Amino acid sequence: MSAEAEQVHGDEPAPPLAPEPYGPMPYTPSAPPEGMQRQRLHPLTPLLESVRFLTAVAAAVGVQMFTSRNFLFAVYAALAAAVVGGIASLIALQYRGFVIWGRELHIYGGVFTRSHRTVPLDRLQSVDLVRPLQARVFGLAQLNIEVAGGDGTDAKLAYLKHDRALELRAELLSIAGRPGAQPRTETADDSTEDVSEASSPLVPPVTVRKLALASLLEALPVQLTALLVFGTAFAVTGSIFGFTTVATALWFGFFAPALFGYLQSTISTVNRFLRNCRFRITRDGGNLLIERGLTDTSHETVPVDRVTAVCFDEPILWRRKDWRRVEVWTAAVSQQISVLKSTTALPVGSPAEVATVAAEALPDLPAAFAVHRPPRRARWRMPMRWKRTGALLDEKAFVVRHGWWVNTYVALPYARIQSVQVVQGRIQRLQGLATVHAMSAGSIGHTAKAAHRDVEEAVAMAAELRRRADMAAALEAPRLS
Amino acid sequence: MNARAVPVWDLWPDGIEWQPMSPKLRTVWVLRSLLNMLILAVIAAVPLTIWLGWEGPLWALGGYVVLAGLRSLAVARTVKTWGYAERDQDLLVRHGLLTRRLSIVPYGRIQLIDLSAGPIERMFGLTTVQVRTAALASTIEVPGLDPLVAAALRDRLAVRAAEVREGL
Repeated sequence: MSAEAEQVHGDEPAPPLAPEPYGPMPYTPSAPPEGMQRQRLHPLTPLLESVRFLTAVAAAVGVQMFTSRNFLFAVYAALAAAVVGGIASLIALQYRGFVIWGRELHIYGGVFTRSHRTVPLDRLQSVDLVRPLQARVFGLAQLNIEVAGGDGTDAKLAYLKHDRALELRAELLSIAGRPGAQPRTETADDSTEDVSEASSPLVPPVTVRKLALASLLEALPVQLTALLVFGTAFAVTGSIFGFTTVATALWFGFFAPALFGYLQSTISTVNRFLRNCRFRITRDGGNLLIERGLTDTSHETVPVDRVTAVCFDEPILWRRKDWRRVEVWTAAVSQQISVLKSTTALPVGSPAEVATVAAEALPDLPAAFAVHRPPRRARWRMPMRWKRTGALLDEKAFVVRHGWWVNTYVALPYARIQSVQVVQGRIQRLQGLATVHAMSAGSIGHTAKAAHRDVEEAVAMAAELRRRADMAAALEAPRLS
Repeated sequence: MNARAVPVWDLWPDGIEWQPMSPKLRTVWVLRSLLNMLILAVIAAVPLTIWLGWEGPLWALGGYVVLAGLRSLAVARTVKTWGYAERDQDLLVRHGLLTRRLSIVPYGRIQLIDLSAGPIERMFGLTTVQVRTAALASTIEVPGLDPLVAAALRDRLAVRAAEVREGL
């Protein structure tokens, strides 16, 4: 904050400062002594980090081998790669490692460009355990360390043996004095059905079948529409230009961007399904721990006091099933820019499960809201979603509902509202309508927007939001990072 | 005019004393829009000259005069809608002729306050105050202030922001 204050005041005489400094004391890094023994990373690290490169090289060599029918070439290439790679790895490993020194974690890396990163553990926000596929094969894991006021990039410790990583995570958390510091009784084979687990999950695990059905139902409308549009376009152009090879090739070339987008959305749906498999959410002190993933396992930590908003998504085909997805927004500051992260707290769940998770993420937050619709004269502006749009000043949070394909409730606690805006477009002015935006910390998309309210209601709503935000913010201690 | 078509900010429950911007702001913005239009006119003159020969620049000039006149009128009317108000707990800024915007920033959420002045603004001795919160979408500008007024506003805001500090 001190740097900011200087920037604000410039070279003018500074106004009197507040009686005591806000936030944590200024941080002064120190260096561990030279001779300090560094802890090494796993010897396979360089190999795993270059796995993509190696795959590409292997593919190139394979192609070369089959086209030239020179099998000795592959042998030579493999030998050369093994020798060069081995020596390079050995050298690289000498310079890589980490040291826990006092309340800091020092991470060393780089051969030609040395890097030395200091992580102040006092400001530790979360330590996430991630297990990419290539690392899982060897029973390794990676730690992503997130620090308040960092430069936005996580410090990484990759790769460590899985049990060593868990130990280290507990150690780092205990140094930081965070709850959840006790080494968790998790077995190395990370089976989700492990009943000896100390903390029990908040909701029963989502079965693969249910998740698959949910993903399918979510993707179906998009897929059908895309196929319909592409089919129609293909038929129309075909009937005009004929179905010759040239015309078809041109058609694909012309629609390539759209097709690419469609492909990407399909892949991301599948990826999301894989990521959310074996989903498990537990409460651990002030944190929500989320473990998920089929091919790449990841452990995420959501500090509950950092939750900015909770979203409930309902894709159009889930309505009949009464399913919802819960997303949690968390905010952190890094380099004067607040970063908002959206984490899935429940990939799919029944109303009861949704309510459980919501109440854990934001204390006393209900999961069903009776939102008020915009006035009837706004209906022609959104014929499909008018019924499913609304806003509500709930007890603890400002709740808005919007969307047709995916109907979403956003619950933004009053204490997290940064600023309020009332916007009135030119047609809205003729109709006597206005839109209220309540902005949370972070990027542009993350606002709670109550569209097309009656003008007087909108202004009163904005005033009320401001009043409640002040009241709610006064109740809690300032949290600057 | 429709009875409902009162500006949205006039409906605020309790009366607010809106501070107007410096009267020079209108001149600055009109000049700025004239300059911008001039650049556009010069760019447009090139293809017009190729297409119409020597009549091209004349057409460009004529178009410039008409459009710049209209634009200046619109800008001059827009400037009048700008206003700001300092209340106990928050800063209110209103602006917009067609799309009306009323922004409310609580002092406790202010993270950065910038002063800036462009070349034309400097010529007329005006300064813009920019207020930032943690929400990226809500950078609030208070343009066209006298440098002294701007500095005073900034200092007041900074002091208030330090007094009531709220988190994210």
